[in-house]
Amino acid sequence: MKIICVVKFVPDVGNMAWDFENNAMTCENIRACKNSRVILNPDDACALGFALQVKANNPDCFIEIVSMGPLSVRPHMEDLLRLGVDRGSLICDPLFDGSDTFATGEVLARYISTRSFDCVLTGSLSLDRGTSHVPVQLAETLCLDQMLGIIRIDLNRFDTTRAVFEVEDDNSVTTYEMAMPSILSVTRESGYKLPYIKLKDMQRDVSDELVIISNRDLCFLETELVPMGSFLENAGTSLQTYDKKKRRVVLNDEEGITSVFNFLKQRGFL
Amino acid sequence: MGRTVDLLDVARRMYGQGQFESHAVILDNSFSHLHGFFHRMICLSENLVKRYDPRGICDVLENLHQRNIFDTVLIPATNLGKMVAPRLSRRMGAGLVSGVTDIKREGDTIEIIRPAYSGKLLEKVHYKGRGQLIMSIRLNAFEYRSGGKLQTEVCEYTGPVSSCKGIKRLHVEKKRQICDIMDSEVLISGGGGVKEYFHELYRLADALNGTVAASRSLVDQGVAPRSIQVGQSGKTVSPRLYMALGIHGSMQHIAGLRDIESIISINTAYNAPICSLSDMVVQGDAGEFIERLVKRISIYRSEKKDN
Repeated sequence: MKIICVVKFVPDVGNMAWDFENNAMTCENIRACKNSRVILNPDDACALGFALQVKANNPDCFIEIVSMGPLSVRPHMEDLLRLGVDRGSLICDPLFDGSDTFATGEVLARYISTRSFDCVLTGSLSLDRGTSHVPVQLAETLCLDQMLGIIRIDLNRFDTTRAVFEVEDDNSVTTYEMAMPSILSVTRESGYKLPYIKLKDMQRDVSDELVIISNRDLCFLETELVPMGSFLENAGTSLQTYDKKKRRVVLNDEEGITSVFNFLKQRGFL
Repeated sequence: MGRTVDLLDVARRMYGQGQFESHAVILDNSFSHLHGFFHRMICLSENLVKRYDPRGICDVLENLHQRNIFDTVLIPATNLGKMVAPRLSRRMGAGLVSGVTDIKREGDTIEIIRPAYSGKLLEKVHYKGRGQLIMSIRLNAFEYRSGGKLQTEVCEYTGPVSSCKGIKRLHVEKKRQICDIMDSEVLISGGGGVKEYFHELYRLADALNGTVAASRSLVDQGVAPRSIQVGQSGKTVSPRLYMALGIHGSMQHIAGLRDIESIISINTAYNAPICSLSDMVVQGDAGEFIERLVKRISIYRSEKKDN
């Protein structure tokens, strides 16, 4: 079986904190986040975690990770190869810098269409932009079925012909069967985890397993990657702010409880 | 749940009340409540397209677009909506903005706002009305308050749909039905500080005729179900009363609070972020607070009954 995992490295937004005194994020925090530390997108990590489980059960399974990003993510890709991934492909070219989700989907699709695969695994949501566009548009370009929000894939019913998996919403958990090849997008609620790198593999040279793909390989014309919504103008980001209230602080004693009780009564909650 | 009719509030903010023609594509059979709100309702016969097949639904929308040339397509940001909008955008060559939470209009420019970076930043997109636009709309972020006075034309979709052979729905396991936190007027919400006694929140919720909600940390730890999660990755809620017990108030959580009349927070750290947004802060242990307040309400109710 051949699995392609599409992964993305994103800023570590988890380390951004709210400055409650100034009722805003600090710009230093945001800059630090955008420019420095990157992590593997959490949903993508779950997808790769599942792929590695498949490989653990079936050593013949071939896993390729595909990522589009700057050369600076190379060490992160190498770490994933040290987990037992068979091949890494980093798509990197000045033409692709600043690609929107549409262009990203097109570039990934052109590369993936040159590879043989049974299944493409991705995360559902990207942590930075908070969207799920790329796996869906990738599926549309490759004319494949795709499902978002997968919380569990049945290992015993995951093969070259079909996958059986569960998707959860507010009211139900639904089990689907999808014919392969297809794109399955896993959420972090799945709980699939990446293993640790084995001690013996920590320093393993994986440079032969990592391939850098440029536009020489993909042959895009500049005009092909014009953003879909080129009439939409990105007007930047702003800090989320909230109206502070004149709060009243009470202690958790009889007097405090009386204050809460009276507050609830006055406002008609009792 | 977010209501289909609330999508009209997005259109109203973009184009002005009465300044647009609206078409609703109806995927299920219960649509009588939408009469009078939309100019046209297009119903899909039951066996035409599977309701879980985004490619089939895209076929329908693409075909309708070719006939009607819509300026804007608004799709609720459900799991299905998130699979339909990007596909449709690619097919129509339309601009795409997802998870929209606010729309402002200034002159010819429509400002579209959506949260990014886990709700920590707001991303602004300007649209000047040229080009076709698809937006997925976060549930419960908009509310349409006007009455439905239109003469709605109802018609059935008759165009082609490619048959879906690749996906089969094998089984649906319904969850225990609980009151949706998006519909509740009183929410008793717990965070990491009440992990050990989260079940106690139900006693307080019963006493106040409310519903229990939770922060992401409790959901991630498996203490509470995802259906009651408040926040950027959960639901946007607008209760009259939001009682936050042991909730720190990360940006991610606060992004899910909208138009709340009263907030009471109970926290050992009185300067936790959620406390800055609260009308009243109770400094102390949430477990003891529940015990005391439930007892007080119970005495009040029995005295009221006796009188």
